[in-house]
Amino acid sequence: MLRNQVLVLLALTLVGTAAAQAKPWWLRGVDSNETDFLPPDAAFRMAARIDGSQVKVRWVIADGYYLYKQKIEVKPASPDLQVFEPQLPAGVMRTDPYLGTQEIYLQQVEASVPYTRIDAGAHPIEIQVTYQGCAEAGLCYQPITKAIFPNAGPLASEAQVTVNPWEGLAIVGGAIAFLLAGVVLRKGRKLALPS
Amino acid sequence: MNDRGTRLLGAALVVLLGVWGGLKFHSYRAAHQAIAVPAGQSSAPGPQDSLLPESLIARTAIPSLLPQFALPDLQGKFTPVSTWAGKSLMINFWATWCPPCLREIPLLKALAADWAGRDLTVVGIAVDDRDKVKAFVVRFKIDYPILIGDQDALELAAKFGMDSPAFPFTVFTDRRGEVVALFIGELHRAQADFILSEVQNLNTERVQLPEARKRIAEGLKQQADKEPS
Repeated sequence: MLRNQVLVLLALTLVGTAAAQAKPWWLRGVDSNETDFLPPDAAFRMAARIDGSQVKVRWVIADGYYLYKQKIEVKPASPDLQVFEPQLPAGVMRTDPYLGTQEIYLQQVEASVPYTRIDAGAHPIEIQVTYQGCAEAGLCYQPITKAIFPNAGPLASEAQVTVNPWEGLAIVGGAIAFLLAGVVLRKGRKLALPS
Repeated sequence: MNDRGTRLLGAALVVLLGVWGGLKFHSYRAAHQAIAVPAGQSSAPGPQDSLLPESLIARTAIPSLLPQFALPDLQGKFTPVSTWAGKSLMINFWATWCPPCLREIPLLKALAADWAGRDLTVVGIAVDDRDKVKAFVVRFKIDYPILIGDQDALELAAKFGMDSPAFPFTVFTDRRGEVVALFIGELHRAQADFILSEVQNLNTERVQLPEARKRIAEGLKQQADKEPS
């Protein structure tokens, strides 16, 4: 945490005013020109959860954006995990003059991915999901591949966008408390034992 | 005293181990969360976005000069961009699986023809498989130069700030190699003509780069407001 902050400060100092001007491409066509296109993770919000013997992977697709059914792929990312072909609902048929008819998803889609674990749960389930989509206004995103630990609840991973700043402190505090407890216990034992 | 010293040393070690473990755990979690739910999740990236060092590094400003690069052409021959030194360039990044990229090709062909013999060259950079690109070049009768790349082309795209790549996008340069505009998404005739007129203004030194960029930004915005998509 501290190290990260130091890095950020360093980077900010080094980059100086340039950092204030530098924007991600989706906010900038020509330096001061902004495009209306969404960044890939806002256009296609993906989350996964475990539902019994299946992993459910769900995409919330922004208005004016779509995903290709054929480009959705799910692979295991943790050892001893086997995943099967994702089961996907029927999409909308879209005919492109150059690429023919393709099945697409608008608004949202959920894939059901059956899985088996050979290790009876020794490793947390991690999957690697690939998907690809476009904006109707004329932009296609490079296929996106993400490793994700499916969470227990629906869209649970979205709730954890921010990293709790107290986390590092809590761990350090825990270590100190552990040490103090040891010291106190040892002291107590010394008193109780005949010397 | 000696016993006390050992205990203190042990205590210090435990604290250090705790701190080290905490930092490790923290960075592990941060990295994995960054993969699962990267910043920019919200539709309008918030200010906390800029606190992530990795995104800060990725967000380089658009270079004012075209970076030098070389990519293989359709025959596999490495072609440096300096081949077209002294010309204004329209460098169009595309892929064969991308419908708006394919819709643009007739326009790019028309522009290449309109400007043939003058100081503009259209160059396509296909971020795709060579055989697929070849098939599309034949099918669309593309007659402007095409270069092909994969990771190297993506790295080049990142130099223009396209670090989460999306296609098509088109880089416009003037004849000095100054990057005049980066147009993201499907390009239409009116937009291309407008940007190219500003490129001509730069070539004839009627305007300077910052002013040309500003005029392009404003002009494109006006065009977009006139005809909402």
